[in-house]
Amino acid sequence: MRWIWIDKFVEFESGRRAVAIKNVTMAEDHLHDHFPGFPVMPECLMIEAMAQTAGILVGEAMNFREKVILAKISKAVFFDYVRPGDSLRIEAEITTMAVEAASTRGTITRGDQTIAEIELMFSHVDRNLAGKKFPEENFVFTGTFTALLRDIALNHKQPVAQPTESG
Amino acid sequence: MGMDRDEIFQKIQGVLVDALGVDEDEVTSEATLMGDLGAESIDFLDIVFRLEKAFGIKVPREELFPAESLLNNPDLVSNGKLTAKGLAELRERVPHTDLSEFEKNPDLSKLADLFTVNAIVTYIDGRLNA
Amino acid sequence: MRFVLIDKIVSLEKGKRLTAVKSVSLAEEYLADHFPTFPVLPGVLLLEGLVESASWLVRLTQDFACSMVLLEQARNVKYKSFMSPGSQIEYTVEAKVIDENVSSFFGRGVAEGQDIVEARISLRHFNLADRDPAMASVDGHVIEQMKSRYDLLSGQSLNHD
Repeated sequence: MRWIWIDKFVEFESGRRAVAIKNVTMAEDHLHDHFPGFPVMPECLMIEAMAQTAGILVGEAMNFREKVILAKISKAVFFDYVRPGDSLRIEAEITTMAVEAASTRGTITRGDQTIAEIELMFSHVDRNLAGKKFPEENFVFTGTFTALLRDIALNHKQPVAQPTESG
Repeated sequence: MGMDRDEIFQKIQGVLVDALGVDEDEVTSEATLMGDLGAESIDFLDIVFRLEKAFGIKVPREELFPAESLLNNPDLVSNGKLTAKGLAELRERVPHTDLSEFEKNPDLSKLADLFTVNAIVTYIDGRLNA
Repeated sequence: MRFVLIDKIVSLEKGKRLTAVKSVSLAEEYLADHFPTFPVLPGVLLLEGLVESASWLVRLTQDFACSMVLLEQARNVKYKSFMSPGSQIEYTVEAKVIDENVSSFFGRGVAEGQDIVEARISLRHFNLADRDPAMASVDGHVIEQMKSRYDLLSGQSLNHD
């Protein structure tokens, strides 16, 4: 399975907000474990869909110079469960952008219904974090995301930064 | 702006509940950020961001949470205690906090105890009503 | 990839506490994307490990009364260090309250003495039949499947038929 939890961007306002779509389908293996007999999208993967939408929004705002990593889920609240055949709209906005971190908030909706409200914090990590060394290149924004981002650039009037190909 | 201390406390209480995931009744005036409420580095940032939004002011991190930058400076800290220089630095950064007890034994591990919800209320009060 | 984010339940005090472990292996496919050249367990899967641990505590405390056990709320989930392939993480969840349809926990994950993740979570649990009696057989099926999974995770048999 690929670690990509959004399918495409439908709106992208650089530095401000973004909206992505995630379709939920029986073709996804993991649904059949959660739960066997009644598949529902795991809430943690909905959080990841928001983290990827918001993370790309934050990363792009810095021209993908920084590695942007999820540091904290301040709050994630779920109002209903999601089933195969559902299409989710993930909307994220940047609430604060600072030198060392960014905070975002957003909602996941299915049609008119709010499924989740999620507030996240991202760290802009440099090469040393808790004594751990990272590879030099920006390993966060690579291959898997490039197609999504090219899509934004083609379909949206505003110029959008692209990460340099690596990895 | 003319917000009174009670209103400021209520708003700060809301911020801390949102940032730390604690219950409202845990956020008492005397509660310590790090000890009682479990706040850490990333939480300090979360709190600062939310305070800025809630009160419409810019909050330099070191003014509210000076411990972080002090801890890593060998001029200011020695053998787990603040040096005279460290104490002077601290006093300058947190005029809103009573350091008299702490100064008797400026052990780093006790630094955490200084930073109470009340200290934040005093800081914001000072900023708004200056 | 199988969506089971714990490997073994190592201790259980019904109504109170559960401890489980997960081993991280390069064999886990998503590590190829997260990240290329720097594989680490995604943060949300660390959270899922805590959610699954808490869910098992609910299921076992309630004797598998509910088919659906879902995350309702996660608060102050903090990531303190990375989990790399070749290590093992131990999750501990402590129940604050376990009511019929809602429960809340404080959870923590530690690997080789290092804090990895910490979270406050609330779950909600119910049967599909609560809303639609026709779904009772689906509930029954899910519950049977989860009982079998528990046998695998605990290394025991519940001796259910």
